[in-house]
Amino acid sequence: MNKKAGAPKNLIAYSFILPNFLGFAVFTLVPMVFSLVLSLAEWKGVGAVKFVGLENFTRLFADEAFMRALVNTVVYTALTVPLTIVAALALAVLLNSEIRGRNFFRTVSFFPYVASLVAVAIVWRFLFSPAVGPVNMILSNLLGKASTDMPAWTSATGPAMFFVVFFSVWKNMGYYMVIYLAGLQGVNADLYEAAALDGANKWRQFRHVTLPQIAPTTFFVLMMLVISSFKVYDIFLNLFAGGDNQLSNATRVIVYQIYNTAFRGLDYGYASAMSIVLFVIVLGVTLIQFRGEKKYSH
Amino acid sequence: MKKVIALVTVLLLSLAVFAGCANNQSSAPAESQEPAAAPAESENPPAEEEAEAEPVTLKWSIWDLDQTAYYQAIIDGYKEVAPNVTIETVDLGSSDYMNMLQTQLAGGADFDVVTIKDIPGYANLVATDQLEPLDDFIAAEGIDTGLYGGTTEQVTVEGQLYQLPFRSDFWVVFYNKDIFDEMGVDYPTNDMTMAEYDALARKLVHGEGNDKVYGAHYHTWRSAVQLFGILDGQHTVLDGGSYEWLKPYYEMVLNEQEDGVVMDYATAVSTSSHYRDLFYNSKIAMMNMGTWQIGSQIMAVKNGETDVANWGIVKYPHPEGIEAGTTLGTITGLAVSKNAPNKDAGLKFVEWVCGTEGAKVVASTGTIPAIHTADVMSVISGTDGFPADDNSKAALETAKVYLEMPLHPQAGEIEVVLNEEHTEIMNGSKSIDDGLAAMQRRIDEILGN
Amino acid sequence: MVGEKKRSPAANIVLYCILALIVIITLIPFVWMLSASLKANKDVFNFPFVLVPDQPRWENYSEIWSRIPLGTFLLNTLKLSVIVSILQVLTSSFAAYAFAKLEFKGRKALFLGYIATIAVPWQAYMVPQFIMMSKMGLNNTHMAIICLQAFSAFGVFMMRQFYLSIPHELSEAARIDGLSEYGIWFRIMLPNSKPAVTTLIIFTFVNTWNDFLGPMIYLTKTELKTIQIGLRMFTTQYTSDYALIMAASVVALIPVLIIFLSLQKQFVKGVVTSGIKG
Repeated sequence: MNKKAGAPKNLIAYSFILPNFLGFAVFTLVPMVFSLVLSLAEWKGVGAVKFVGLENFTRLFADEAFMRALVNTVVYTALTVPLTIVAALALAVLLNSEIRGRNFFRTVSFFPYVASLVAVAIVWRFLFSPAVGPVNMILSNLLGKASTDMPAWTSATGPAMFFVVFFSVWKNMGYYMVIYLAGLQGVNADLYEAAALDGANKWRQFRHVTLPQIAPTTFFVLMMLVISSFKVYDIFLNLFAGGDNQLSNATRVIVYQIYNTAFRGLDYGYASAMSIVLFVIVLGVTLIQFRGEKKYSH
Repeated sequence: MKKVIALVTVLLLSLAVFAGCANNQSSAPAESQEPAAAPAESENPPAEEEAEAEPVTLKWSIWDLDQTAYYQAIIDGYKEVAPNVTIETVDLGSSDYMNMLQTQLAGGADFDVVTIKDIPGYANLVATDQLEPLDDFIAAEGIDTGLYGGTTEQVTVEGQLYQLPFRSDFWVVFYNKDIFDEMGVDYPTNDMTMAEYDALARKLVHGEGNDKVYGAHYHTWRSAVQLFGILDGQHTVLDGGSYEWLKPYYEMVLNEQEDGVVMDYATAVSTSSHYRDLFYNSKIAMMNMGTWQIGSQIMAVKNGETDVANWGIVKYPHPEGIEAGTTLGTITGLAVSKNAPNKDAGLKFVEWVCGTEGAKVVASTGTIPAIHTADVMSVISGTDGFPADDNSKAALETAKVYLEMPLHPQAGEIEVVLNEEHTEIMNGSKSIDDGLAAMQRRIDEILGN
Repeated sequence: MVGEKKRSPAANIVLYCILALIVIITLIPFVWMLSASLKANKDVFNFPFVLVPDQPRWENYSEIWSRIPLGTFLLNTLKLSVIVSILQVLTSSFAAYAFAKLEFKGRKALFLGYIATIAVPWQAYMVPQFIMMSKMGLNNTHMAIICLQAFSAFGVFMMRQFYLSIPHELSEAARIDGLSEYGIWFRIMLPNSKPAVTTLIIFTFVNTWNDFLGPMIYLTKTELKTIQIGLRMFTTQYTSDYALIMAASVVALIPVLIIFLSLQKQFVKGVVTSGIKG
């Protein structure tokens, strides 16, 4: 009795999407598409656009700086994503249970995300500074070695990648914890009761009730983490760059290459080609995860 | 199929729109500005056909407005010369200033006068046709570019000049007299070779841990280390080819690092250890730094920020056989935007600021102007707080100043490589040879060698 | 309520130890920040490190208001964050409903397209976007920032995921009762997704609060600038005033924390479970 015809149904759906899409299309989508198409051209930011076909892409594959940036970004993503998910989920589960001062702990976990990146980066650089930093001081006391033998966290020769991954997890876990917290609210409490009655302990309840129920949330968190990790830029810049805003080989990331190529090199076309490569990679990973979501949530 | 066609059409359309728009150099619709103040009538406009008594507002792009002493002084000084002109400053911030300026101009910003912060950015602005060539104006007004000590020749592009310098800085050595006294070492002289400088630093380092005092300090900028190499005038950093000529200087600095004579690069970067703070806290005996620090040092002593009141400067160390007083330098210049709404007024402003009158105003704030005549320089050394000893006064005289970064259309790209390899060498990721080889390889590729 | 076994004392101790560890790890950098904010600039990185300076420089906290127009910046940032958050939540949850609960042509492709655009880094299209916005006359207006931030794919994505977990039966029942789709969105989806809406508000607020590059490019007039630009004004060509940066960051933290504290009460169990039993 209430089966509506196909066309009006589509229209209603489109009407929901329209406000968001309209603003998005006009202000973001158009320039985005333009810049992606730029990858086939040469442009200095002003003046004429000159088409050069696939030349920018062939240049890319011989570009050792870009390749290194690509590798760095992939490694960074591979490390940051799982660690952040584990940390965020653990925090969320922990801070979802009955604890005294729960609000306080939740707020404290959110602090790092909220604070200005510029400021916390300065702090971390100091804390982990090789010779005089407190972290190395403490480590050297614990391990009984000289502080100069401790890892040079912030230098590119040292375990810089671990340093930045650690920093990212610290900074972002509060953010994803909040997402998980919201997701956890949607899990029906009765399911836990039923499982408890079946004799499942906390851990099994977590595995067989919680995890499946928050699958859509996990999918979202995974997606957003992967995308933002591939797009990372500010974190690397603030942690490693000197006053000239330059990064060295070991700490270079894709978006940094894009920015430098466009602004300092005045080579917008080439920068766009890099964006396309980034875009394609992320799209690929996204599609894989989409398949995973389909299999998992039905 | 229809979808594909639609998509392609959208793509092509958007591209066409942008190609067309980007081609236009039309200025953007002006946002409502603050209304130009209507000043009192003036009676002194020079002989110009234009009605100069009409109020004009010049838009001037700058950085660090509140932290820099000379902007207001310039504005006040010019007000007396041309009361009908109101200067409106736009502070774009100092980090990434040239990138921001480039972006603003691309978006059609209506600046009249723009400050030029560095040469690579300048090259980019010229390459994208944003600056007005000044040669005709210079000829018509009879401006003597010889006053600028040869620096304007170093910034001409294909025979055309697009900026006039109003400020210059060059590198000297700052030293803490108290530390020298404490260690019983003679003060540095105005004629030191690199070897003598190195030996001096080694005599001064002492202390351990929290009490350590370093003999010298190299700030994290590549100019602090790399540019010793250009002092013999044989090379510029943009030559390409072999960079072996940088090796002796990297060796000297890295040896000093290894022997604990200077702070190591990684620590300096990660603690954001600023050369100023180290000097203020008496943690370093000497430092090679630019003359901009003179004004800051004087102020810091005055307002009690530091108790290093007993300091001095000497000329930059030089390679064997090179005249003392040869040093590196930079210029800060003013340019006029090609699309300036008030071009003539802008040109007149630039002429004044970069001329002797403007130079005196700049000097009065403790900043070294681009014109180095004796009476201008004596304003600096006569400033209250400037070291009283003769060596420091003499240190202000330069023999030859090499610009840190010569002008080159690919200066921006090359600088990226120079910075990257410098970082690798300094923090030990690459050996000196590997770093220099990479420099050569990558820069040659940019230059198309 | 039933079924929450009491924790053993041992488990309690372990639990609170872990929590203490978390607090330490998250808060140590802020302790340093506070400590630095009370020092003179040259002493911020001086060694040996002192936690509490002998003479705490409380003047730093008044200096930040006079050195830069921090008050104006705070107000601007607040204004932008509030407006963008409201717009974002409205348009995103509106669109997300269609993606989550309605069947329509092109749903999957359009959604995939939305997500794909999140993958493109802003640095890539920042300049063409600026040129376009300038031609629209939006340069140096707060409107520009609002237009850039209020319509994001991210909000749509997030709300859609949450809507997916709201049982189909709820909206079906409402449809049978004759409620229009708009009615369903307003009366069923929105109220039942308080945690998600709250999350989106928090995130959008924080993102807009901390956004740097957008205001940097679009807001060059001092009276329009925001906090993040203000922070960077303490870094000049030759030096940085770290003490003031820290003091200003501490001040900038406070409004966001207030928002978070007041909103996170929404993360309370049991909001969605009503009416499903049976």
